[in-house]
Amino acid sequence: MKNALAMIVEVTSDPYGYVARLKESKNKKVIGCFPMHIPDEIVHAAGLIPVVIWRSNEPVTWGHAHVPPYDCGIVRSFVDDAVKQKLRFMDGMVFSVRQCLLVKECPMIIERHAKPEYLKILYLPPIYPGKATRDFLLEDLGSFKKSLEEFTGCRITDESLRNSIEIYNKNRSLLKKIYQIRRERPEILRASEVMRIVWSSMLMPKEDHNELLTQLIGELEGKSIETKREKARVIPVGCLCMTPQLDILDMIEDLGMIIPDDDLYVGSRYFANKVKPEGNPMEALADRYLTKTPVYPDMGVWDVHWGDGVIEKVKENNAKGVISFVVRYCPPHICYYPDFKNRMVEREVPEIMIEIEHEITSLEGVKTRLQSFAETIGGV
Amino acid sequence: METQYKLNRLKTTAEIRPFVDRHWEELRTAKERGEKVGWASGPTFIFPYAMGMKCHFMAGYAAYCGGIGAADEILKVAEMAGDLPDSCSYHRLHMGMGEAVKRGIPINPQAILPFPDLMIGGRFCPEMSYYAEGLFRRFGVPVLPIELPMVFKREDLKRIRQYFLGQVRETVIPTLEEVCGKPFDYDRMSEILRVLKKAAILRNQCWEFFKLKPSPWTLWDYGVSIAPVFYLMGKPESVTYYEKLLKELQERKEKGIPAIAPNGENYRIYWDGWLPWAFLGKFMRKFTPHGAVCLCGRYPWEFFPHPELIDPENPVESWADLYFGEESHLGWNASPEGTVEVISELIEDYSLDGMVMFSSKTCRVWNISQLEVMDILAKRYGIPGVVIEGDMIDPAMISDSQIDTRLQALFETIDGIRKR
Repeated sequence: MKNALAMIVEVTSDPYGYVARLKESKNKKVIGCFPMHIPDEIVHAAGLIPVVIWRSNEPVTWGHAHVPPYDCGIVRSFVDDAVKQKLRFMDGMVFSVRQCLLVKECPMIIERHAKPEYLKILYLPPIYPGKATRDFLLEDLGSFKKSLEEFTGCRITDESLRNSIEIYNKNRSLLKKIYQIRRERPEILRASEVMRIVWSSMLMPKEDHNELLTQLIGELEGKSIETKREKARVIPVGCLCMTPQLDILDMIEDLGMIIPDDDLYVGSRYFANKVKPEGNPMEALADRYLTKTPVYPDMGVWDVHWGDGVIEKVKENNAKGVISFVVRYCPPHICYYPDFKNRMVEREVPEIMIEIEHEITSLEGVKTRLQSFAETIGGV
Repeated sequence: METQYKLNRLKTTAEIRPFVDRHWEELRTAKERGEKVGWASGPTFIFPYAMGMKCHFMAGYAAYCGGIGAADEILKVAEMAGDLPDSCSYHRLHMGMGEAVKRGIPINPQAILPFPDLMIGGRFCPEMSYYAEGLFRRFGVPVLPIELPMVFKREDLKRIRQYFLGQVRETVIPTLEEVCGKPFDYDRMSEILRVLKKAAILRNQCWEFFKLKPSPWTLWDYGVSIAPVFYLMGKPESVTYYEKLLKELQERKEKGIPAIAPNGENYRIYWDGWLPWAFLGKFMRKFTPHGAVCLCGRYPWEFFPHPELIDPENPVESWADLYFGEESHLGWNASPEGTVEVISELIEDYSLDGMVMFSSKTCRVWNISQLEVMDILAKRYGIPGVVIEGDMIDPAMISDSQIDTRLQALFETIDGIRKR
């Protein structure tokens, strides 16, 4: 039997090839869901394969004709992939156009240059007070469900939704278990491997991923790790809808720091909060969406401070500092960042910002900053 | 000999500045008179106006700071306080003003506003929400958020209108009643709409003069004339202003006085996106020597394109209809598909030769699918377009040489098309 981690590395090293092969082998249609908030349990319950849209590891070329250089990395990269027809294995795509300004670029470009069989626009609202917001959200989710039923010609029953919710919740539990193992023995996995584990969950059918995670947990529990010396623990935060460069995660560890936990989208945020298994499943999905923590700066939550949740995580992990990954041109993050930074300063939590761009021009500057941060917190 | 083009300025627009100064003066001194102060983003300021509050709105303040030359120094304060230069310049401007007050950093006193009793954070652009939340976190400003979705598909208008109305009834009106300690003044809102209807109908009659060749006025004149429908909303002076403006345009038409001397414009240009408030003079100086004039724009036109539909007897519903109604729908016009519809009509009706797509580097709400929109329209109508990158108020984002080069390219392309 193949090592579980090797499988995960294979999936995430060529997501295009993997998903295209998956479609053939499962004989099912693939629906690309733009990060971050689309409840893909509904897509799963429709008998389709939901995958979370990713950015490529190539520089943007053709995409420049369609979006300005001051759009964020994932939008530019996704558009670039789409206009190069690299995403033709996706039978459908879903965009939640209210989550940020830049995702709004996508629908018209996709309709004109790479239109899939199914294209859905959602208006998932911010978490604002009042019944009107919840009612609108439920209506939006209802229209999503209906459109998928029309696309497949099959009704999505409450039973099938509950089944999907159960499978997804199990996946969340298994990912949480892996995070627990890492917290106890941080050197058991590289941070880049942990990111690949979560990323593979976004790409693989959850049933298959659950089996793989169960195998991985078994392998990790049987593995012994020799800790040579105590390293400074740091918590990476941010990268709200895309992966940072895996090289940067490796660099943090190579510089003598260690990552026991994170507050990243392709990380702990992805599996935070389960969906209630009982009651009306659509309402349960809406309730998960409306949960204010972990704070997403795009979700209109102003009365809970994002920094407080991160400080809690720092304490739980006995960490010495926070590394903010701020994606260049990510409006929700760059607008929130000064307040986040202030909270870290107020609570005397050492923090450093690393700006993440899709195309990295030089890792040397990043290395210098991280090195000095490591020295500041006593990691070297 | 080459024609020396010159701008013929309108007399009426010179009256705008005192209106604008008075609005902000009244806002600055409101608390001294015991009046309540509101701040607003998106088209939500009518609700505080109806309650007799003095009310700021996000873009208006930025335009004002740009106009009085205060934007640059305030943006620098924001950066000093930690704001990142890629964030929305309107966001940075408000944070900079707040930080200057909090830290006692001297800035132009005309740009200092009192913190509000309530901020209605209309979230038309998601960044409006980040800005309202930032005001709460940094300065403790009480925030009432309201979602105002941009509508991507026409069939979604109806349910989004219902959502808007639901929020107004459920949170906006009760919160204003609580803050002001009195019932919501529906009668005052109706009165505001009665006056607005008259003013906006006159404003649209003025807009029709852009159809004339040569045009008697420019988009910049129209842009600065936005003040009466916002700052003087519901006040009789707004009607008087547009009556005067209409009369002057009529006179120009009769006497054959063009906006561009000596003989009118050589290029009739569509302008997309924000007006560059702090750089209007700069752009005029770039366009005029070529005999070019911007005549139509989506942004200043979007407000009240169908004032005849305003129904003062049903004020709240009528306000919802302006933005999410079947016939008048700012929420749809701002979407990529809606944008194509709006600009197509303008190109067809106003004999336009080219398009300038102003792409703001920090406020991207009007940039959405701009390159696609330009491509669709260029293919459909055979008129060229260029993108000019910049910002509404941040001088660090404006490049003279880029403006010159791209305008030159646009005019040469138009010339090439004419020679075919």
